[in-house]
Amino acid sequence: MLDVLLLLLPVTYFVSAFVLTLIRFKVGIRLFGLVSLFLIAALVAVFLIKAYPALVRYGPALFTTAEWDPVREKYGLAQAIVGTLITSAIALGIAMPLAVGAAVTINEFLPPRLARLFASLVDLTAAMPTVLYGLWGLFVLGPALGAGLTSLAKAVGLDVLVPPYTLLTAAVLLGIMVTPYASAVIREGYALIPKVVEEAIYSMGATKFEAVVLKLRYVRNYIFGGLFLALGRAMGETVAVAMVVGGNFSRFTTTPWESGITISSLIALQFPNAQSYTYMEPVLFADALALAALGVAINAAALYILRRWQI
Amino acid sequence: MNRHVVSKLGLALFAVLGALAVTPLFFIVADIYIKGVPAIVKLGGLNFLTDLPPAPYDERGGIGPQLVGTLYMTLLGALLGFAVGFPIGVYLGEFRKEFFASVARAGVNILVEFPTITIGLFVYTLFTVFAGGQLNEWLRGLAHSLAALVGDWARQFVGPLGQFNAYAGSLALAVVMAPYVALFTASAYASIEQPLREAAYALAGSEFKAVFVVLRKAVSRAVLVAALLGTAKIAGETAPLLFTAFGNIYYAPFTEPTAAVPLWVWYAAQTPYEVQIASAYGASAVLLTIVLALFLVARLRGG
Repeated sequence: MLDVLLLLLPVTYFVSAFVLTLIRFKVGIRLFGLVSLFLIAALVAVFLIKAYPALVRYGPALFTTAEWDPVREKYGLAQAIVGTLITSAIALGIAMPLAVGAAVTINEFLPPRLARLFASLVDLTAAMPTVLYGLWGLFVLGPALGAGLTSLAKAVGLDVLVPPYTLLTAAVLLGIMVTPYASAVIREGYALIPKVVEEAIYSMGATKFEAVVLKLRYVRNYIFGGLFLALGRAMGETVAVAMVVGGNFSRFTTTPWESGITISSLIALQFPNAQSYTYMEPVLFADALALAALGVAINAAALYILRRWQI
Repeated sequence: MNRHVVSKLGLALFAVLGALAVTPLFFIVADIYIKGVPAIVKLGGLNFLTDLPPAPYDERGGIGPQLVGTLYMTLLGALLGFAVGFPIGVYLGEFRKEFFASVARAGVNILVEFPTITIGLFVYTLFTVFAGGQLNEWLRGLAHSLAALVGDWARQFVGPLGQFNAYAGSLALAVVMAPYVALFTASAYASIEQPLREAAYALAGSEFKAVFVVLRKAVSRAVLVAALLGTAKIAGETAPLLFTAFGNIYYAPFTEPTAAVPLWVWYAAQTPYEVQIASAYGASAVLLTIVLALFLVARLRGG
């Protein structure tokens, strides 16, 4: 009967919200407002319930050890968590300069028509299906990076063979993918700089470059906010990362040019096998719980910095 | 060094960084069309859009089931996502001064950034409960009487739901889309000027009509753009479909595992067979065309 309940609850909720919106507008519309909170609560509750067996069996060690041995039912997620941190950090290192550059280019250099076109291109970078980035990473970026780094290593006298699919490949791809998210926020802040501030900067005799730097300092909150939003995106991105990260489930590595795994790609790559083992599914739900918790924390930070609860 | 030289160099650096931000886009689009279009021609031309996907040693093949699945799930997901997202956005925009609206807005902002794979897992869990439950018995009966009433084709749409099916996929896509539409709608409603709002409330008769009929016309363009961009976004989503629609290589009823273009790209690109990789590129070209078209219409309509 659980299935009937699960269907009836949301259906009743939405029907009453629609009907109330028609007859008692303020009550109904507030019911709609509640939807987002219910949904977040439901997501976290489901992950907690499904992850419970794993959390009880392995305890906190699940998140601090690195192991992936389904046959012996031994699991640890440290390699995935560290992989996520490494890829996100490198991705942000790539994305933030690009995002700032794109925002400055749009607001300072281009005439209005071209600026709109350029902004559309940046937005399109965000709108592209992520699996297409994965395809490009798989057949173009990965092999190019692998070959390039291998010959670079040879040039400096090291004898290492860099594989094409590594944490670094994933990070570069992520850097490209999250740039527009950071850029949009910085652009938003840039557009809000008061005219008087700009005039004051130029009246002090600043060159255009000095003016740009001063303006960027003026919108630093937006830059930090954009950074956190991009970080949230980078951590949650799944499919493109799973295609190029190398799928190394078990070995703990902190070297970016080795194959690795991230929290989200672990789910995508291992969940299809989870039915065959007792504890793999709970472990993967614990993994999803960690991902959700990280995501909520990072986005809460971004919200706080950007005051996004106001319009 | 002269300040003006520094200024020139610094500005050049920003311009180069800005250009670098969009360069990969051109590489990716070019790569997909340069490899995708010949692949489509080689694998079957126009038949590519309707044929079954190639098996590892086939010469020809297409993405027929995938295209049907993507269109169906995107349509359903977009309708449901819009139906829920729009009123949420109206609340956030019209009642933005309330304390509770700020809380709800923070919630929507968190939801829009929620990793989409976790949303897929959430819907997957819901449907594990459905599979083999009481509801499926009723659905079996419903499908039976519907088939008797309108013909056997009804069974393509209605029937007992498997663990993986198109409706789970649509639901996951709707959850991805709703907060997106809500945020766009909210900022559109918030940007309505106060005199216009007062005029709407004064003339419309009821609050419902003022907000949903009169004011909606003032923001219809922005809301349309939100719907189109949201649809473009979910048309290309892969992660929420992985464990909900699951993918298929045949035309199948929507109550069974359903194929989708992004899922096929994800699967076929990682196989070692040349013909399947080629079909992944062909599928990518089709998907990219759909997304670009939606994006372009949104941009042209939205100005």
